[in-house]
Amino acid sequence: MECKEYKIEFTLNGKPVSIATNPLRRLIDVLRDDFGCLGVKEGCSEGECGACSILMNGRVVTPCLIPVGAANGQDIMTIEGIKETEKGSIIVQAFADGGAVQCGFCIPGMVIAAYYLLSRNPNPTEDEIRLGISGNICRCTGYDLIVESIKLAAKRGGEIWKR
Amino acid sequence: MVAHDISKAVRRLDAVSKSEGSVKYIADYGFEDCLWGRLVRSSIPRGIIKDIKLPEMPDGYRFITYKDIPDGGHNYLHMIATDWKCFAENDVRYVGETIGIIVGPDRTIVEDLREKIVIEYEEQEPAVSIDDGLACKGGAFINDDNIHCHLKLEVGNVDEAFRKADRIVEETIETGFQEHVYLETNGACCMPDGDGYKIYASAQCPFYIRKSIAPLLNIDPSKISVQQTTTGGAFGGKEHFPDVVCGPLLLAAYVMKKGVKMIFDREEDIENSVKRHPSKTVFRTGLDKDGNIVAMDSKVYYNVGGYLSSSFVVLQRGCFHVTGCYEFPNMRTEGFGVATNTYPSCAFRGFGAPQTLFAVETHMCHIAEMQGLDPLEYKKRYFIKQGGTTSTNGKIVEKVMIPEMLDQVLKASDYERKAKEYKWGSGKGIGISFYNHGGAFTGNGEQAIIKGRAKLHKFKDGTVEILCSQTEMGQGFHTILPKIAAHILEIPIEKVIFKDPDTSRVPDSGPTAASRSTMIVGELVERAATLMKPRYDKEEEFEVETQYEHPDGYPWDQSTFQGYAYLGYGWGVCAVEVEVDPCTGEVTTKGVWSSHDCGHLIDEMIVHGQVNGGVLQGIGWASTEVLKNVGGHFKQTSMSDYIVPTSMDCPKQGVSFVENPYEWGPFGAKGMGELVFNGSGAAYIDALSRAIGKRITAIPVPTEDVMGYMLNGKDLKEAL
Amino acid sequence: MEEMMCYIPKTLEEALEIKSRHDVIVLAGGSDLMVSNKRTLGLAPKFDKPVMIVRNLPELRGIYINEEGECCIGAGCTSAQIAESTLCPWHLRQAASRMGAVALRNSATIAGNIANASPKGDTPGPLYMLDARVKLSSVSGSREILVSDFIVKFRTIDLRPDEMITEVIVPLSEDDFDYVFWHKVGTRKANAISKITLSQAIKFNADGTVKDYRVAATATGAKTNRSRDVESIIIGKRLSPELIEDVIKGFDDVISPRAMPEFRREATRRMIRRFLNVADTHPEGKVIDTYDGYYVVGQPEPRVL
Repeated sequence: MECKEYKIEFTLNGKPVSIATNPLRRLIDVLRDDFGCLGVKEGCSEGECGACSILMNGRVVTPCLIPVGAANGQDIMTIEGIKETEKGSIIVQAFADGGAVQCGFCIPGMVIAAYYLLSRNPNPTEDEIRLGISGNICRCTGYDLIVESIKLAAKRGGEIWKR
Repeated sequence: MVAHDISKAVRRLDAVSKSEGSVKYIADYGFEDCLWGRLVRSSIPRGIIKDIKLPEMPDGYRFITYKDIPDGGHNYLHMIATDWKCFAENDVRYVGETIGIIVGPDRTIVEDLREKIVIEYEEQEPAVSIDDGLACKGGAFINDDNIHCHLKLEVGNVDEAFRKADRIVEETIETGFQEHVYLETNGACCMPDGDGYKIYASAQCPFYIRKSIAPLLNIDPSKISVQQTTTGGAFGGKEHFPDVVCGPLLLAAYVMKKGVKMIFDREEDIENSVKRHPSKTVFRTGLDKDGNIVAMDSKVYYNVGGYLSSSFVVLQRGCFHVTGCYEFPNMRTEGFGVATNTYPSCAFRGFGAPQTLFAVETHMCHIAEMQGLDPLEYKKRYFIKQGGTTSTNGKIVEKVMIPEMLDQVLKASDYERKAKEYKWGSGKGIGISFYNHGGAFTGNGEQAIIKGRAKLHKFKDGTVEILCSQTEMGQGFHTILPKIAAHILEIPIEKVIFKDPDTSRVPDSGPTAASRSTMIVGELVERAATLMKPRYDKEEEFEVETQYEHPDGYPWDQSTFQGYAYLGYGWGVCAVEVEVDPCTGEVTTKGVWSSHDCGHLIDEMIVHGQVNGGVLQGIGWASTEVLKNVGGHFKQTSMSDYIVPTSMDCPKQGVSFVENPYEWGPFGAKGMGELVFNGSGAAYIDALSRAIGKRITAIPVPTEDVMGYMLNGKDLKEAL
Repeated sequence: MEEMMCYIPKTLEEALEIKSRHDVIVLAGGSDLMVSNKRTLGLAPKFDKPVMIVRNLPELRGIYINEEGECCIGAGCTSAQIAESTLCPWHLRQAASRMGAVALRNSATIAGNIANASPKGDTPGPLYMLDARVKLSSVSGSREILVSDFIVKFRTIDLRPDEMITEVIVPLSEDDFDYVFWHKVGTRKANAISKITLSQAIKFNADGTVKDYRVAATATGAKTNRSRDVESIIIGKRLSPELIEDVIKGFDDVISPRAMPEFRREATRRMIRRFLNVADTHPEGKVIDTYDGYYVVGQPEPRVL
C-alpha cells in the first residue's frame, strides 16, 4: 500500500526547499533523485558504512535511515553544500594533497565526517580522528592517509575550525 | 633527462572531484527512457526447476529467461572457461544463480513483481564445503569426482627424499570465503545503439565484458561497446563478475529494444556475487634429524563453486606460490578445484596466491615452534635467492632483497626484543611473514594470450591522450599512466588526457588485473612516449602504438606448467604485534610494519596508500571477516554482519620500501596491488598464536575463536 | 490505489492523540525500522501499518535530574546525546557511546533501543542493572514500569496500543557504587554489534562486607540477563574465592546463549571473576576493566566526539 503524499519542507544547503511526496521515502532517495545531490553515495542501506553521511542540524547522520518526513523543518547540508564552504574546501584540498582518495566512493561521506569532527574538535589527536571516522568504512586506503589528511586539514584551517 | 624522480608524489588527478562528490558512478547516471531490471535468482543451492509462476505482468513489464535467447545465441558467459550459464535452464547449482531478469519502467513495480514470482523446485542435497565436494555429497555434478580442474608440479624427487627423511610432519591449513566489499555495489546499463549495444558498467575489464556476453546474441564482440564508469572499488570482484550483470542486461535490451539498468543493493551484492576461494592445503613435510626441511609436499584444494569460469587460473597461481619465499631441495604440489553448490568463486586481490602463502607461512611457523625455535630464525634458512629454483622449475630472475627488507622491518618493529620478551602464551605476541607475488599473467601469457596494445595520440594543442583499456578502480592507475607519459615527454601532467576506457575507441591493452597494469601497460606507454618524444615538437597531430613483447630466454610451457612462471615478483615482509584480552579473547593490533619491493615506485604516495589498504584487508581476512556458508546460503549478508576493519581496528602502519628496479618495467616499476595483501594475515596469525601460545590452523579467527583456541587449542610446542 | 496514512505530529499531545485513535508504528531515529522494512535501492520502505514519525518532538529530547535525584531521559534522546551528557549514569553513557556508528548514534534513540527488545541492544544492560523504568504515556495518563519488566521477551514489549514511551528514568548511578565495570565485546573495535556486553557495579559496607552488587549481561540469551538472586549470594558477606565462584556458577545458570555458547559463557565467567577479584583489593579509582592493559584509575569519560 502506497503512503499518502505530504508536503515536506526543509533547508537544503542553505536554501529552503519543498517537495510533495511519500514521507516514508528514504531521505537518501529524495536527496539523490529529487534534488540531484549525487555526492550522497549509497553503500550499505543500513547506516553501517557512512558513505551517505550528511549533516542534519549540524549533526552527522546517514539519510538511508531517515524517512524524509523526519526531515520536515530541519536544516540539511550535503557534500554539495559543504564543498562550497571554506571549511569544506580545506578538507577537500587536504584530502587531495594527503593521498586520502582512492576509489572515492566513501570519500564524500568521509569529508562530512571530517567536517563534523573538526567543527567539534579543531585539534584532534590521531586517536580522536580515528574515532571520528570510525563510522565510515573505506575498503581501499586502510585509513592511514585519510587520518593524515584530516591532520593536515586541522593544521591548515587553524582558527577557522573554532568559528 | 628526467626533471625529477618519478617517485615524488603528485596529487591524484581524480582526488578533488571525488572528494567533492561530483564524479559520477553508475548509480548517478540518469539514462533517458531506460527500464529498470532486477534479477530473479535461485533460492536453493541445488535442484531442478519444476515451475515458474509469474504474476500478471502489466504492459511494459516482462520476465526474460534463457528462452528469450535468439536462435544461434549461446547461453553462456565466456569467463576464461565457458561453463557458467548466463541463465539457469532446468537445474540450479547454487543459491543466487540467475534464472531470469524482470524489467519495466517503474522500479517499485519491478520489485513488486519480482517479489510475487514463485519458483518451484525439486530440491537436491547440496555439497557446500570442500570436504562435501570431495565426498560427492548429493552425487557428483562435475565429472565423476567433482573435480573441476587439477594440476601437479614437482621439483626434485619428493618420494625419494621422504624415504630418506628422519620424519614426516603433516598439517592442514584452511582459509575461508572473503567478500570484496567494494564500497560501490555492482551496477550496469545496456542501451541499444545503432545495430549494436552500448554498455556502461562499474568494471575492471571492459573488453572482458563484450567478449563474454556477445555469444548470447551470437554477435561480434565489436558490436558491443563498453564504457567503464568510475568504479568505486573492485579488488577482483569486478574482473569477471560484471559479465554476470551485463549478460542479462544485454538480452533484456535486445528483447525490449530499450535501455535497461540494474544497480545491486548491498545485501543483494553480498549474497549474489563471487568471493575469494576458500582453501585447504594439506602439507606433508620431510625433516632430517636436525629438523631441516628436505622435501615439502602439498595438496591444495580450492572451493570453486558451481562453475569453473576463471578458477583454474586461480588454482594455478595458488600452486605456483605454495612454496612462498622459500626454496626447498624437493617440492611437490597438486592442486584440485573442487565443485560445490556455492556461488562460484573468482578473482580477489592475490588471485589464489594469498591462500597458499598463508598456508606455507603458517606451516613454517609451526615446524619451527614445535622445535622450540623462533619462526623467523627457522624461515631464514630457506629464503630463495636470485637464480633459485621456483616451484615450476624456473629461476628467480631478479635480485631478492628479503634480507634488506627484513632489516627494515626488524628495526621499525623492534621485533627481536619483543619476540624474546613476549613469552608464548603471555597475551602479547609479535609475528612476521614473508611473501611475494608474481607480476602479470603467468609465463608468456602477456604475449601469447593478451597481446596488449596501447596508443598515444598527440593533438594540435600539444595535449596527449593515452588510449588503452586500463581502468581506474581506486588503485591510482589513471594518475600513474599520465605521470609516466608526462615524465617521458617532459610535458605537464595536465596535458595528458586519460579517460575511462570505451572499447570502441581504445585498443585492448588487456585486463586491469594480475598486478599487470603498471608493469606491462605502463611499459607500453613508456615506450610509446619514448617513440613520440622526438616527433612531439615537429608534428601537429599523430599517433603511436606499441605492443607487448616478451623477453627471450625465459621459456614457459603452459601445458606442463614448467619454466619461468613470472619474470618479476613483488616481495614483502610484514610484522604484526598484538595483545590479547585474557578475559574475552579480544585482540588488539598494536602495530603493523611492512617493507615491500615493488621495483622503482612510480608514485610513492599512491603506493603507500595501496600498502595501507592491502595490509589492512589482509588482517581483516585473517581476523573478523567471517563469511560462513550453511546449507548453500551465506550467513553474513550485510555490512553489519560481514565485518571489515574500521579506522579503529589497526594503528597507523609503518611502511617502508626497498629500491630494486625491474629491468622490463616502466622506470623499473613492478606490480604491487596484490602483493600488499598477500602477507599481513599470516603475520597477524603468527603474532596471535604466539600471544595465546596455541597453534592456529584456520582463518578467519574472530574473538570467539580466539577464546576457543585459548581453551582447547594445541600448544605451539606439541609435535605436528 | 488505496493509500496509507503517515502521521507527523508536531507536539507530544498530538502524538498521544493519534496513538489513541490509530494503530501506528512509532518511528523515532529510524535506525532499526528503516532497515527492517527496507526494500531495494530507490524504493520507499514498506510498513504493514501506518507510521507516526516522532523524531523531532521537542518534548521527548530533554535530560534532567528530578526531585528524587533520578536521571530522566526523554524517549527521543539519541545515543550521542546520552553519551555526551554528564547527567546520565556512567554505564549508560558507555553503552551509548559504543552503539553502532558515529552517525547512527545521532539518530538512534533510547526508546527505540528498548522497544526493539533485541537481546543485543546496547542500553538495556545498564538500564536493567540500574533498576531503570520506562514512563509510558497515553491520553488517559501515564504509568512507569521497570525496563526489565517492560521487555517481556525476545522482540516483545509490554506496551498498550494507545501508549508511547515518553521517558526513561534511571534511579541509580555510579555514585551509588564503589567500583564499576562495563565491557562490550563487539564484532570489531568500533561500529560494532555486541557479541557480549557485561555491566557490573559493587558497593562495600564500612566493615568490608558487600552492600550491593549488580551484574547484567546482553547478547547472552533471548533477553538481557540479570538475577537479583545471584547478586544476593555475596550481599552482606565478605568476598572470598569460593563465594565469587558461586556467583559465577549462579550467573552461568541464568544466561542461555544459543550461538557461541562456550565463548559467551567463558567470557562472562572471566569478566565476573576479574571484577570481583580486583574490587576485593580495594584499589584506587573507580573503573575496573578486563585486564591490566585496560585498567583505569579514576573515572574515564566515555569517548565522544
